[in-house]
Amino acid sequence: METIKATVENLDDKYFIKIKTGDEEISIPISDDKPNEVKSAFNKIITRIKSGEFQIKLDEVRDDLFSQVANEYLIQLNREIQEVRGEMKQYGLV
Amino acid sequence: MKIDIHTHTKKCKSGDAPTREISPADFCETILSTEVRIVAITNHNVFELSQFEEIETRLGEAAQVWPGIELDILDDGSRGHLLVIVSPKLAKEFSAAVGELAENSTPDSFTATIEDVLKKFDALNPLYVAHYKQKKPNLSEEVLKVLLSRTKKPECVIKEVTNSISAGIYISHGHSSIYGSDIHDWAKYEELSLDLPDLRLPVDSFEHFCLLLKKDTTTINTVLDRKTPEELVLRPFDDGSMLTIKAFNDINVFFGPKGTGKTCILKAIAKHYTENGIDARVYKSASDNLDDIFDTKGKSLAINLNAHDINYCTDEIKALRGASEVAVTGLGKFANYFRVTNTSKNASKILLKDIDPEEVGSAKHEFTEFNVAVKTTADFIKFLADNPSVKKELDDEELTDVTRILSGLLERLSKREWSSFSDWKEVVLLNSAIKAFRKEIERKTGKPAKPTTTGFRDYAMNRIMIEVNAAKIVKSVDTVIPMRTELVGSLGLNKGDLQFLSEFKFQSGAVSDGALSSLTVVKKIPQKKFVNCVRNILKHAYADDLFQHISELNAIEDVENIKTVLELLLFKRYFALGGQPYTPSSGESSMVMLQKELGTDKEVYILDEPERSLGNEYISDVIVPLIKERARAGKKVFISTHDANIAVRTLPYSSVYRCHGQAGYKTYIGNPFTNNLVNRDDMADQLDWKKISMRTLEGGEEAFGERGKIYGNN
Repeated sequence: METIKATVENLDDKYFIKIKTGDEEISIPISDDKPNEVKSAFNKIITRIKSGEFQIKLDEVRDDLFSQVANEYLIQLNREIQEVRGEMKQYGLV
Repeated sequence: MKIDIHTHTKKCKSGDAPTREISPADFCETILSTEVRIVAITNHNVFELSQFEEIETRLGEAAQVWPGIELDILDDGSRGHLLVIVSPKLAKEFSAAVGELAENSTPDSFTATIEDVLKKFDALNPLYVAHYKQKKPNLSEEVLKVLLSRTKKPECVIKEVTNSISAGIYISHGHSSIYGSDIHDWAKYEELSLDLPDLRLPVDSFEHFCLLLKKDTTTINTVLDRKTPEELVLRPFDDGSMLTIKAFNDINVFFGPKGTGKTCILKAIAKHYTENGIDARVYKSASDNLDDIFDTKGKSLAINLNAHDINYCTDEIKALRGASEVAVTGLGKFANYFRVTNTSKNASKILLKDIDPEEVGSAKHEFTEFNVAVKTTADFIKFLADNPSVKKELDDEELTDVTRILSGLLERLSKREWSSFSDWKEVVLLNSAIKAFRKEIERKTGKPAKPTTTGFRDYAMNRIMIEVNAAKIVKSVDTVIPMRTELVGSLGLNKGDLQFLSEFKFQSGAVSDGALSSLTVVKKIPQKKFVNCVRNILKHAYADDLFQHISELNAIEDVENIKTVLELLLFKRYFALGGQPYTPSSGESSMVMLQKELGTDKEVYILDEPERSLGNEYISDVIVPLIKERARAGKKVFISTHDANIAVRTLPYSSVYRCHGQAGYKTYIGNPFTNNLVNRDDMADQLDWKKISMRTLEGGEEAFGERGKIYGNN
């Protein structure tokens, strides 16, 4: 299974989880509730699932709040990605 | 059933072709490969009893073979050929007579006079078939006169001509005529036999044939009555007068001048059968409603998409139209959870809240698979126990073995079903407990709990289902439905078959053929928009603007009427010749309508002047054979006609002639076999069937001119 690295980035006091997959960068805002941006990121992740099995791993887990949040978020996200991939198999989409 | 009164099995004379030679086995095989069921062996100046007997034995009940000979007659300076054919019962006597006559001569040197022939054969009650006119070498008129005047049975003297046309012409002039194959090359017999005369009435034997030649009324009526006639008592006319007719399960013709009530009789016949629960209606030439009959506008057109493996997509369309975005978990909830430290002692003791929820999908899927396996296996065991075919194929021991193995499998599957169910529910319960405890601790402590999901699963599954549903709809509308082809009828040999084509095509989003119509109430523009929207939805299933396309779908006019892909179907129906659209003329419409009527399988056909708008050639080549075929199948065919092709050439079992004179209306009933028509009200009042037919019917003389194809009348 491929492991895709993720980082927590701070841009103008706004924190994001940045996931680099191929040429595309997926960005999930952590410090603000921006559901549309999260959805947009999810759409890219779904498309990425079709290309092959993978998990997302935070490059460095630090003690700061946003790193902790990102780590916990990605743990849950990875579990759900595996579940969705299983469902996609059932429907013959992967 | 065909008859061939002139065949050769041997090369007897030096001028005979060697291809006339045929063995008894090959002779029988050849005859039985054709429709010929009565055949006479008439070799030149020779009759070989042993060969005849072998053929008779080999043919058995399959066909009749009659003994005969083709004699060289030299009389009064004229040389001609005469066939002498006798009953098979008299084959030995016939052989002896031939032996005596041909003694001291070879087939080449043999000649006999009419006197000799009469002396040797007339006592055997033979059938004399004389070569006549163009059939060379022919007997002279003088010699024929002698034969006719001296034989005991002049009705059994027939003139052999060269073909059906000649036979018809001679018959119409009062000469008993027939023609045979006079086969020269047996390799060509099968093809040649197609032109041999048909026997309209069944002939049981040589003697029976001679009686029919004599026009013996009792014999003819006995033959006709084999067709189980039915007496119809009708009141066809306004004055309430009664008409009784004998209806055969064969062809029954009504003819006579216009305005003599023939149509009324047909209507009364239809009423009679309808009242007795038999489908019967009067067919009238109706060239102007061919489009209605074939429903070219598709008012009643229906199609079962399942028959073409097409999903109607009812659920998919409903789901797509009702689709909405699923919310995701805000990351603020995660941040809040980590920002606040829960200091509650009791809360810290509840460790369940800290466990991560488990993935539930695979556990559920495993249970579903075992569940299906258990049900399918149980159903199969029941099927084995109940199915009669299985019981026939397997003995008790085998069935017990199979059932034992399957029952063992079922038991194991059931255990796995329960354990997988338990595993699934365990995960569900755990996740539910985690969620409940987190929520409760959050409520009691006022401190946020750790979210149980990012929302990705539900979000993704929603999009996946939108993709799956849209893909199913697109798959359905991208299916090509084969064209439905229906044979309407033949437009004659030159034009060929007229077909009626029903073309179905789904609106793919790009179809713009104006000739196509919507199969349902949904209009073509909404159909097109709908399919294009679904294609866009499929294309944008994982795009940010997906729900714009779903909104567009729901904004389509009359979208609520599109409940299945059937509402996206287009069609066109048209007549075609050779695959190309064709508009039949009114005459051609009449042709095919009549063919359609006769092509429908029913017990009673009632045709009122079917010849209307039709050409003679078409009636002869297509309609008459169809009518005869229905009659052969034992159907009752009633036809009112002014056309001799139909009234004469079908040789109806019953002919009803209606006329009107100073004394009022008269009804005569008869048939072509007895050649008379008898007044229903005065048995002494009789008419000649042939003369009346020739005088009354259109094309009467021509029809008689070609009637030689059919034997059994003159």
